[in-house]
Amino acid sequence: MAARNHILGVATCLPDNIVTNDDLSECMDTSHEWIEQRTGICERRHIAEDCGGTDLGKVAAEKALEDAGLTIEDIDLLIYATLSPDLEWPATACLMAAKLGAPPMPALDVRNQCSGFVYALATADTWLKSGRGKHVLIVGGEIHSTGLDLTTRGREVSVIFGDAAAAVVVGPSPDGEKGILSTHLHADGKFAEKLWMEVPSSRRSPNVMVEDFEGEDPSGYPRMAGRYVFKHAVTRFPEVIRESLAANGYGVEDLDLLVPHQANLRINQFVGAELKLDEARVVNNMQKYGNTTAASIPLALREALDDGRAKEGGLFCLAAFGAGFTWAAALVRW
Amino acid sequence: MHPEIRILGLGTHLPGPVVSNEELARRLDTDADSLRRETGIEGRHFAPSGEGPSDLAAAAAKRALDEADTCVDDLGLMIFATTTPDVAFPGSACFLQEKLGAKTIGALDIRAQSAGFIAGLDLSAGFCGETQADGSADSRYRRVLLAAGEVFANGLDFSAEGRELAGRLADGAAVAIVGPGNHGPRLLGSRWYTDGTLLESFWTEVARSSNVAGRVTREDIEEGRHFPRADLPGLRAVATERMALVAREVAELAGFTCSDAARVLIDYIEPDIAEAVAADLGVASAKLIVPTAKFGNIMTAGLAIALADVLPELAAGDKVLLVAAGPGFTWGGAALEVG
Repeated sequence: MAARNHILGVATCLPDNIVTNDDLSECMDTSHEWIEQRTGICERRHIAEDCGGTDLGKVAAEKALEDAGLTIEDIDLLIYATLSPDLEWPATACLMAAKLGAPPMPALDVRNQCSGFVYALATADTWLKSGRGKHVLIVGGEIHSTGLDLTTRGREVSVIFGDAAAAVVVGPSPDGEKGILSTHLHADGKFAEKLWMEVPSSRRSPNVMVEDFEGEDPSGYPRMAGRYVFKHAVTRFPEVIRESLAANGYGVEDLDLLVPHQANLRINQFVGAELKLDEARVVNNMQKYGNTTAASIPLALREALDDGRAKEGGLFCLAAFGAGFTWAAALVRW
Repeated sequence: MHPEIRILGLGTHLPGPVVSNEELARRLDTDADSLRRETGIEGRHFAPSGEGPSDLAAAAAKRALDEADTCVDDLGLMIFATTTPDVAFPGSACFLQEKLGAKTIGALDIRAQSAGFIAGLDLSAGFCGETQADGSADSRYRRVLLAAGEVFANGLDFSAEGRELAGRLADGAAVAIVGPGNHGPRLLGSRWYTDGTLLESFWTEVARSSNVAGRVTREDIEEGRHFPRADLPGLRAVATERMALVAREVAELAGFTCSDAARVLIDYIEPDIAEAVAADLGVASAKLIVPTAKFGNIMTAGLAIALADVLPELAAGDKVLLVAAGPGFTWGGAALEVG
């Protein structure tokens, strides 16, 4: 069996500009109570001036490398996970590589939305186990704020998302016990249009127009069938968490910490209750940052490491559910 | 170390009839001879409005599954490499999953441009080597469906300013079923690289998330920032150099020399660059295949489509070299042994 990989460094970068629920209620018909009650979110960050996910990503990546005691020259593969690329194409990973001053190296984007970080982690882990390299840098970067409909028309979606970047370095585990135990990936494309953003769309001519951002239900902004998302999330989350535990001979009682994707506090509370996990064993910080999609899990993990909830030797499950629908989990012995 | 994987089945799809140089020349306000001379391209296919990469891949998947003697229910993972996804999000793998009626397996979407198929093979090798957590040797992802496809047609600039790329980029898809097995081309090795300092030499800037004025502004559309743009003359030297380097690297990795390969497939948006690379590598012109010359530049999928065309001509033991470069700037190579 191939040697185990571990997460060797974790770091984050957030824009300074805090946008509270009250701030949002100034540009759309909503209120702090409405948002908080449905999502648990109180504030999020929005960039205040032109800034790409790779600008935040550069800070996070350099800190993660430092945390791992490595430099960009030690990296064999760069994965950038996002649903809000800095540019249409090529991959934002190319821009990330340039900003990090990386030597020529394989660099690609993983585009798996809210599950992007766990998909990227699975990709990194299996690629390393195949003997292709020693270290992978994963950056999850999102600038949502520039793509949101910040009017009453878009309020259901726009109050949820926030900007952030987070990075991890994956490499050989310092000891045989610690590390990524297994990863589990799922999707169900039947629901692709229940949480999506249509434009730019290669299947339509022209693929993008100014009119896509106008009208009653603009296809240029993210759209969500909230009830579908909630219903599937509270089923698939427990399912994939149990799957990751069972694959390693564990049960929910063995789990020390659940680090879930941070979409909605109500979803995570539902999942925690379903699995009979007390609140201390579920990391939630979307109250402060909103849903930062591909950055959310490392953003929550970093916080749990800093506040001491994520302890050495603990069994952690990193789990995600989101657009696609996609869902995924990674079980890690820290 | 590297798990042994093969392309167990390979299917392709080029949408609609060939768009001839005569036909495209009329749209581009030029003549067919000039277009052929400037681009080195014989013809291409354009998907109709309403079809995205996942539609083209769905059409390619049946042949790939049949050839691999497998079915959708046996797949462990789907990977979709594209530069031009069906929609902004979710990824094309999710749309393909629904079209094929696949179970709730993972649907990984990757962006690696012209190296997309090579990167997809590389990642597939990793997933196929993934054993059960209990240590048993069974692969958890015994069969990976690797799709590569593009639909550029709906986003091209057919005005004078966009002619350079509208005359070269094209649509199509390929689906490979990848996994351990006894039959089909075996992956001997692959390498691919990115140099992001050349990013703006070949790109589509918009939609972009980094602009507080909005991802797609009226000014962006007026300025044509949502269309592909390139400085192809500025990339010629670097494309030639990097493709020759990576071709030699993967051939050496696989234990042969480039001139020993039965076929060398070199996909680059300017076919004469591919020919220059072949000459540098000592590859006889009879052994060289330039996908772009045959059907335009289908970025992620060109190599795989041309590979499907050439496999029936080859015998067990023949070595095949795949090489490509494109936006990023990204370049890569893979060595296969026909089996």
